[in-house]
Amino acid sequence: MTFRITCPVCGSRDVYEFTYGGHERGPRPAQEGLSAEEHFRWAQFRTTRAEAQEEWWYHGAGCGVWFSMWRNPATNREERPEPVDARGTGPTTEGDGE
Amino acid sequence: MNRLPATPTQKIDHDRRIRFVFAGRQLEGLKADTVASALWAAGVRTWSRSFEYHRPRGLYDLEGEGASGLVSIDGVPNRSAGTTLLERGMTIAAQNVSGSPDRDVYGALDRFDRWMPAGFYYRLFHRPYRAWPFFQDRMRALAGLGRLDVDARHDPGVRTEWYMNADVAVVGGGAAGMSAALAAAEHVDRVCLFEARPWLGGHLDWRVREVGGRPLRERAIELARQVAGHSSIRVLTHAPVTGVWGENLVTGFQVGPRGDGGATEGYDERHWECRAHTIVVATGALERPLVFEANDRPGVMQVDTAWRLARHYGVRPGEQIVFSTADDLALEAAADLADLGVQIVAVADARPEGLDGELAARLRDLGVELMPGSAAAAVGGRRGVTGVEIAPLEGGQARSFPCDVVVAAAGRQPEIGVLSSAGAGFEYSAHAAAFVPKSLPDGVFPAGRVLGLTDVEAIEASGVVAGLNAATACGALARSGSGDGESRDADERALGSAIRDAEGRLAGLPGPAAGSGHVRGPMTGKGRKAFLDYDEDGTWKNAAQCVEQGFDVPELAKRFGNFGLGPGQYRVPGQNLAMAMAELTGRPVGDIQCTTVRPPLIPPSLATLVGPGHDVHKRTPLHEDQTARGAIFRQAGAWKRARYFSDDFSCREEIRNVRENVGLLDSSPLGKFRVFGPDALRALQRVYISNMTAVGEGRCKYAAMCNDTGNIIDDGVVTRVGRDDFYFTTSSNRAGGTVEWFRYHTRYDGWDYNLVNLTDNLASINIAGPNARAVLSRVTDSDLSGGAFPYMGYREIQVGDSIPARCLRLGFVGELSYELHFLASYAQHVWDLLMDAGAEFGIGPFGLEAQNCMRAEKGHIIIGTESEQRVTLLDIGMGWMWDRSDTESRKVGAPALRACADQTDRLKLVGLRLDDTAGRKSPEGPADGALVTAREEILGYVCTTRYSESLGWRYALALVRDGRAERGTSVELFQDLGDGPRRFAAMVVPPHFYDPDGARLRG
Ligand SMILES: [Zn+2]
Repeated sequence: MTFRITCPVCGSRDVYEFTYGGHERGPRPAQEGLSAEEHFRWAQFRTTRAEAQEEWWYHGAGCGVWFSMWRNPATNREERPEPVDARGTGPTTEGDGE
Repeated sequence: MNRLPATPTQKIDHDRRIRFVFAGRQLEGLKADTVASALWAAGVRTWSRSFEYHRPRGLYDLEGEGASGLVSIDGVPNRSAGTTLLERGMTIAAQNVSGSPDRDVYGALDRFDRWMPAGFYYRLFHRPYRAWPFFQDRMRALAGLGRLDVDARHDPGVRTEWYMNADVAVVGGGAAGMSAALAAAEHVDRVCLFEARPWLGGHLDWRVREVGGRPLRERAIELARQVAGHSSIRVLTHAPVTGVWGENLVTGFQVGPRGDGGATEGYDERHWECRAHTIVVATGALERPLVFEANDRPGVMQVDTAWRLARHYGVRPGEQIVFSTADDLALEAAADLADLGVQIVAVADARPEGLDGELAARLRDLGVELMPGSAAAAVGGRRGVTGVEIAPLEGGQARSFPCDVVVAAAGRQPEIGVLSSAGAGFEYSAHAAAFVPKSLPDGVFPAGRVLGLTDVEAIEASGVVAGLNAATACGALARSGSGDGESRDADERALGSAIRDAEGRLAGLPGPAAGSGHVRGPMTGKGRKAFLDYDEDGTWKNAAQCVEQGFDVPELAKRFGNFGLGPGQYRVPGQNLAMAMAELTGRPVGDIQCTTVRPPLIPPSLATLVGPGHDVHKRTPLHEDQTARGAIFRQAGAWKRARYFSDDFSCREEIRNVRENVGLLDSSPLGKFRVFGPDALRALQRVYISNMTAVGEGRCKYAAMCNDTGNIIDDGVVTRVGRDDFYFTTSSNRAGGTVEWFRYHTRYDGWDYNLVNLTDNLASINIAGPNARAVLSRVTDSDLSGGAFPYMGYREIQVGDSIPARCLRLGFVGELSYELHFLASYAQHVWDLLMDAGAEFGIGPFGLEAQNCMRAEKGHIIIGTESEQRVTLLDIGMGWMWDRSDTESRKVGAPALRACADQTDRLKLVGLRLDDTAGRKSPEGPADGALVTAREEILGYVCTTRYSESLGWRYALALVRDGRAERGTSVELFQDLGDGPRRFAAMVVPPHFYDPDGARLRG
């Protein structure tokens, strides 16, 4: 498996230069009153849908930035979903990492 | 030697003889011969035995298309005779042979085919079940191709690798590929052209037929000259492609000057990868074998095999040759061979009509009998060919021709390997009788014979079209011109019109010629010895058996009947299998798909895949010093580290000197970081499980990081060096992942902090032992007294005259010790200062193993050794580090620790004291990893165990199930390292063996 990823800082680079950080699942939930189930659902569960998803990637062999982007894991292509998503979750802006 | 007179098409040098050994015989070939051409010229006919029936096999193809052509060379099995260049002194052995190639003891298997139907192995040997091991042993002895002498040392020579980027990668250096490269290179800067043969030219390279008034060969030379002279084209010859991967990564290997004629410089073979924007695939065509009785006899060969033997290697393919073929290229080959003085007895052509009139007339002029609508039914001869039966395909009387070579092919099939590996789909063209590309992945453009084209001008024109399209698709327009709208529009128009012109030219040229849809000759029997696949001895009869059993499509027949599972993969049986399944089931071929092609398309040698043996490691700034002191190094994470300073691997003397006196450790790989900025503390609070607001200036705080499952992933010390400025250490193995980890876990927060990895910038030396203070005080004016600089203190001191150093008073090994961090370039100087200052105490270096023994005696853990995935911070007895009250910081790991805090029956870290008599001598003790058991139940395992001189007994740190091994209980350690089971008695004790109160490190 090999493909390319577009880093918002460095441009299109080989996937070997990046580390995968999982699909986008929102910021770390507040811990006050957080149940174990809620925590592990957030921390461990992966959707693994064969469709475009927002993912986090770290450009370790380049600029050292975490960024999110849309990619379809079934094709390994960068791909945004249709503008109006049936689930009501449209794409967010890229590169909103720190 | 059976050689033809020299001609310009030949690659060999008639004056340079090369001696080699085959099957114990001294033979001679010529410079630039392949192993196959040299063997054939020397009269060798059999150089392997087939996999299942042990039938004699030899020269079928010159392209490495299957197992028949594999030999063992200098003890390395499975080398392709057709593509491996002959080298002086090679010792070549026949493969899959017991006895001699001509008299094989397993040859009798050939007569048992009735009892070995398709799926034989699957269906027979599993009943009764208990008999399987018996059959398995016997089958294993017969199975596999080639024998590797595991005791022999093979010199792999020089194996390297090369990584390229290209705008356009062109696979195939024939007329189509070269035309594509030239067309693309007019519009993009980086074109890479890969050709499997050692030269460019494809099938034009040896063809002397005149088209447009000049020999085709001259056109090949002209194109090759233009390609070689083009500054935007990089050419790799002798470089087969092994596969195309995601987003147009093309991989392959290249035979280098050392492997390609015995040069002493350069490399033998190298792996390469080319990341291309777009790919032109111009891989040409393979021959589709004709299926008839005994079509595997040595002496039955491909058209191009006979042709290239004569044209490239000046070898007379046979004394009397009969062709049974089905296309005009074969007629051209027959006429050309006849022109060269080779006797062609007859040419059967499966096509009843449509033969090239000019070639047919020429063959008749040469006295060759031409038989349209006929094909070979069977060959005679046991070890070689003595004659062939030719019969009309529509029925009629067979005629026998005596001959020693039968050139046989049912037609041509596009070489779809590369296209298929790139993800293309194919469909059957009944006109061309071939599977041609139907659907193409993005950025992949086929050209030439892989499209089924047969006309040489059309082949070239299709290359131009593909090259221009490939250049366009990789963004040639976006980068051309100065970028102003007008010139870009002009460029766009120019490229657009060039593509239209090229497409127009291609449309005006002939498309694919009509092909013959026959798979088999007019054979009479069931096809018991008519082979669809030589590699696994897959016969026509086996294919029929597959259909009878319901395995009636190629993908099923492949598994059940082993068609295309051998080294040749899709090549020999590829398209024929689909056509045979169609014939056997009465379905149209168009309804049937060929089997999936899988990389590597051409098997690279394992030595090339292994590559140059990357020993990639970091060296500390004291590496040379440690080497001079006799250090024995071991890889530890990214670093080469001094592990021992003598061949006493129990490190007794190193340990004694630290425990009783003073020692020096190069601890430079320790992770060292600065984090600063207004939000630095918030970041630390997030990733550390400890309360980081408690980190003060002048003090080291021992702290740990956990992951979201509560596993401890790092430990180290943190100190505050300014208001929003912190300095911290990580374990050596964790240093590389720390920045990624901090940034990942703060990625939503937008915090303002900077994190700098200082690991490689700063050296670290640890001075440890009761005399550490005395030695260090001689090289610094700072007050090191216990009152001024207590345990867990942090000071910035000056060493020697001018070297600023961060000094951390820690105690990993359990003694009074100081860690000095300072610029790496001063490392040798500081080391020397300390060694000089400590000389009168008898200071000495100690290595990683001595440190490991001492820290374990002290009960200090190493992450990954005393912790693992199932073990949380709480399980290893370090829950005191967790700031439970803090939910505000959303600490990584805190929810998981909360969730499992009250769980029972978890693995917990305990200490073990081994029974004195069993533990006295370290070789007598168990090894790390031994099982902890009680009453034959496994409770856990030993993480680290050593015999301690300091304690006088053997200790172990172990992970043991909670509640099963209370302090004071007896357990048993069990291990079996292959020398029989051994058991050791032990008692559970607290995991702090040496100086449990810490008096020594506080001293
Ligand atoms: Zn980047």
